Amino acid sequence: MTEETPLTPEQEDDALAAELALGLLEGEEAQAAVARLSEDPAFAQNVRDWQEHLAGMAEGMTPVMAPARAWQGIRERLGHIAAPLTEDPTKALPWWRGPLGVLAGLVAVAAIAVFLWLPGSMQDTAGPGYRAELVSEDEALRIAALLENREIEITLEQGAAADDRDFEIWWIESDGSAPVSLGLIPPSGSTRVGLPEDATPGENVQIAISDEPKGGSPSGEATGPILAIASLTRL
Amino acid sequence: MKDSTKNQLEEMIARTALGDRDAFAMLYEATSSKLHAICVSVLKDRPEAEETLQEVYIKIWQGAGRYASNGLSPMTWLITIARNRAIDRLRARTSRPVTFPSDEAETLPSSEPGPEAATIRTQERKLLDNCLAELGKDQAEAVRAIYLEGQTYADLAARLDKPINTVRSWLRRSLMRLKDCVSQ
Repeated sequence: MTEETPLTPEQEDDALAAELALGLLEGEEAQAAVARLSEDPAFAQNVRDWQEHLAGMAEGMTPVMAPARAWQGIRERLGHIAAPLTEDPTKALPWWRGPLGVLAGLVAVAAIAVFLWLPGSMQDTAGPGYRAELVSEDEALRIAALLENREIEITLEQGAAADDRDFEIWWIESDGSAPVSLGLIPPSGSTRVGLPEDATPGENVQIAISDEPKGGSPSGEATGPILAIASLTRL
Repeated sequence: MKDSTKNQLEEMIARTALGDRDAFAMLYEATSSKLHAICVSVLKDRPEAEETLQEVYIKIWQGAGRYASNGLSPMTWLITIARNRAIDRLRARTSRPVTFPSDEAETLPSSEPGPEAATIRTQERKLLDNCLAELGKDQAEAVRAIYLEGQTYADLAARLDKPINTVRSWLRRSLMRLKDCVSQ
């Protein structure tokens, strides 16, 4: 960090545009730079150019899938779907929850039972499902993964992450592409995530669990040891 | 990014601007894991990153109509919204004043040719990687820490144990070298 010749005015402008794009400016300097955006088209273009260049760093990151509930939450907050439990509880019971409904339910159960007894039922119509059972070498950790209709359900059956650690789930395809994070394993119960758009389920796909700092891998790539790994098997 | 992907994203954003929920769902499916990765990288906390991701897509839904005029390629626009929102939140956490004028920067009107004239992304990314590598390890790490983790000059100064002004002029010079390299 040695002193060198000062930047030219043009370079000063450039550096300012970069600092604005990076969010490094504070206080009055930040306000002045923002004000300049609307008055100085060349400066505004310079900021946009920096945004384009810098975004390349983010595009190169390993994707991290968000849990399915995030999409649910977005649609609820935009009013595109009703949130669960927002129904008015004082409303009269719909017919299927009254006595008639019980009867209809019984009929439905009977129908399903018959359907299940039918030989060669139509299981294939929903697309093939897969499962994987992940067990650590010392057998202290046991995790089940169930994949159906491009949604994967991960259940922690046995074991727990240390207090300051989290278990992270990885989707690994055999084509050599970078593992994709499917998120963290909740301390209890299970989590469901949608598969990445370009993920191709198959028996050559492996699911792995790594030990990561609390909150998951800071880099989006596995940093901790892989505790368990298993291939998908067709249901 | 391939041109076809870029056009598809533009189409999804344009349809989202018209209130097309299916297009919005497609946009979410195509881009949410990338934007989530950015939120995770900046916030280093999954529940907060997930919450931020939701806010980001709400902003995208509400702001899609302004996208066409801002002159950014679609992925840069989305990434910038996610990064700025995550950094706003990061700074709010330490009750530092929010220093990023995010909304203004996201919606700058542009008189430049539309995004379809923007450079092909894959090449640009490779170029950026090469240029960061040429910059030297410390400088490249600093730029990455600022962009991908929301570090400030104060953070860098503390980490490098140097005065803020020294760190700032060092980084500004690094940025100029980066610019020279990517503009070649």
